[in-house]
Amino acid sequence: MRITCPYCGARDAQEFSYLGAADPVRPDGMAAAEAAMADYVYLRDNPAGPHRELWYHGSGCRSWLIVTRDTRTHAISAVEPAKVRKAGEAA
Amino acid sequence: MAETAQWTPRSAWAGIAQPGTFGAAGRGGVTATLLEGHGLASLIAAPGGAEALARRVEQSLGLALPTAPRIVSGAGHDVIWSGPDQWLLRARSRGEMPSLIAELARYAAVSDQSDARAALRLSGPHLRDALAKGVMIDLHPAAFAVGDAAATSVAHLGVQLWRLPDAAEGPAFEIMVARSLAGSFWSWFAASAAEFGCRVVAGRG
Repeated sequence: MRITCPYCGARDAQEFSYLGAADPVRPDGMAAAEAAMADYVYLRDNPAGPHRELWYHGSGCRSWLIVTRDTRTHAISAVEPAKVRKAGEAA
Repeated sequence: MAETAQWTPRSAWAGIAQPGTFGAAGRGGVTATLLEGHGLASLIAAPGGAEALARRVEQSLGLALPTAPRIVSGAGHDVIWSGPDQWLLRARSRGEMPSLIAELARYAAVSDQSDARAALRLSGPHLRDALAKGVMIDLHPAAFAVGDAAATSVAHLGVQLWRLPDAAEGPAFEIMVARSLAGSFWSWFAASAAEFGCRVVAGRG
């Protein structure tokens, strides 16, 4: 599998580390209900299809990326820098 | 404190590689120059601070910080893209590093890496054949132009490499690896270049 890093270009997947789903947002720790925190920690979707996930380009530019990957085929439809989302500039 | 005064500088390649030849005799497919004496620093701009840093580097050194994986070279310095808003700055003379770092530290997180990396200049008619045994990116001239740079891994070792203008004996690249991994890197390189015949020389970075 190759991932096209928006900074470095297409690279072998062994240059990257996988973290997990990109979209769950951690509830605010002190204010969160126990059920909400349990849901965040333990209950994750396991889609057969497109999945937005976090990858770290540790052997390259050391950027966090959000990769949209089809879990059935490994086809990658989008890669964007995670910091763009963090800054609120994109979805 | 007193004992640091007795410490003597030691090359990153000391005890690992030395000038000479190895591998297939008489072929001279690859030349490796062990680079010494340069200064090196990493520059990391604060969020939103890259433009101010770029202006300062342009003023002080006459170099435009690349915003893509490239190396930009001047008479005494190079700047090498190493990640978004991150660069390596190399100076031909190590002596100017303290003042350069002090100046740029007002614009970026600057860290002296002069002794932290082991550097090679590589050239030769069979250089790409040797590199292809470990470099996972395409270094063909159609895909990797003069001045292109990359941060990648070779034999699981993180490296930064860039392409220089072709030398008389063939294509030329420079490659840097963490000093603590220089022995492992040389082990890979020596095994990969041996069939083409390799000449090792000492040089200035």
